[in-house]
Amino acid sequence: MSLARIRWMATVLGVLGVAGVLVLHWLVFFWVGTERTMGIVQRIFYVHVPSAWVTFLAFGITALCGAAYLWLRDERLDWAAQSAAEGGLVFGAIMLTSGPLWAAYAWGTPWTWEPRLTLTLLMWFVFVGYFLVRASAEDRQAGKRMAAVIGVLGALLIPLVHVSVLWFPSLHPQPVVLNVEEGPTLDGDMLITLMIGLLAFTLIFFSVFCLRYGLEHMRYQRAIATREQPRAT
Amino acid sequence: MTVYLRQVAAIVRKDLLLEVRTGERLAAMGALTVLVAVLFHFAIDQGLVRMQVLAAGLIWMTILFGGMLGMGRTFEMEREQGAIQGLLTSPVPLDGIYLAKVVSNFVLVTLIEVVALAAYWLFFGFNYGNDLLLLAGVLGVATLGFVAVTTLFAAISAQTNMGQTLLPILIFPLLVPVVIFGVTATGRIFASRPVQEVEGSLYLLAAFTVVALTAGTILFRYVVEE
Repeated sequence: MSLARIRWMATVLGVLGVAGVLVLHWLVFFWVGTERTMGIVQRIFYVHVPSAWVTFLAFGITALCGAAYLWLRDERLDWAAQSAAEGGLVFGAIMLTSGPLWAAYAWGTPWTWEPRLTLTLLMWFVFVGYFLVRASAEDRQAGKRMAAVIGVLGALLIPLVHVSVLWFPSLHPQPVVLNVEEGPTLDGDMLITLMIGLLAFTLIFFSVFCLRYGLEHMRYQRAIATREQPRAT
Repeated sequence: MTVYLRQVAAIVRKDLLLEVRTGERLAAMGALTVLVAVLFHFAIDQGLVRMQVLAAGLIWMTILFGGMLGMGRTFEMEREQGAIQGLLTSPVPLDGIYLAKVVSNFVLVTLIEVVALAAYWLFFGFNYGNDLLLLAGVLGVATLGFVAVTTLFAAISAQTNMGQTLLPILIFPLLVPVVIFGVTATGRIFASRPVQEVEGSLYLLAAFTVVALTAGTILFRYVVEE
């Protein structure tokens, strides 16, 4: 894909995403009904759940592109993995800050050592390690491979996260949308707001992803250009 | 298959022989293990808390730190002397090298566990329960998972300029399942609870170990390739 095309995509996705976030906030503040037991703080849910979704999506992309990079050794896959991991780190930080804000009121404590909380925090640290290894590797190519290895291993944790939720009944709210047996248990207007939140956050993520990918593309071109310069003169 | 096993055994033998002759890693790990127990004696007010209640947690943290100290040096000797090149270009498949390193590390950490259990028994008179065979089984499965993850990441951290400083940041998040289920299982064995209460944790430990070992065997080649 050409650089101009990537930029164009990033812009379109970004504009749509920001518009989506504005609509989302209007809905959250003025339109959607207030949940009966938790009251007004439940509205954090519309930011928390989409950021959690994007975090998992990003880490999935990092792992898949990392695995594919190890196999095919195409630089573009490494750019994609790295771009997604950075997005995941940022949205993971949103998830990990919005969650305790909500829990401080709803559960009466900002943090509990509930399995899903614990493992998402740990997954976030795995990706901190991802960037530390990249940055400190003595050999750049080895750094890319080792980061990919960490990405793949980190994603192996995601099934464990899910299993731990299913096996340990706990404080964390049970799934209300992807509930296989009863279908969505959310009220109509809440479901619509959540869906718009998911859409908006996903669009913003892919916009940032494209920008970041484009940056790596430019660095690559620059590296080639500076390498070829001596030959040209 | 037999050739493969003989190749793995040769590397294990080389590693353990070096360890017996120099005693470098084992001495450091053993000393740390005993010293951590000494520090815990002063760190915990035994007028407020009964040490036996904390036994499983203390022992696991000691094993983790002691084990990490030694395993961080898994590839150190080879790197310093440049012998890693010889090892990597030898006809042994790369996953064979990984498995050999896992086995030799497993032996070292198991020895450390014996030291830890003895030290805690000596210092605090810990009661390890009635079912020592089950205890050995739980420790064995958990240790294999611990070693499988740490050996892979020792190969990674050895190739960064942060070296062993990086190792705990990389492995601790991934080792949490080992700590959770390891401590739960050993704690219940120490309290002589029925086997049924230990089974669940043991199965999860086994699942973790299988995933870690398989992933390590597959991914190791990408870490060390030139």
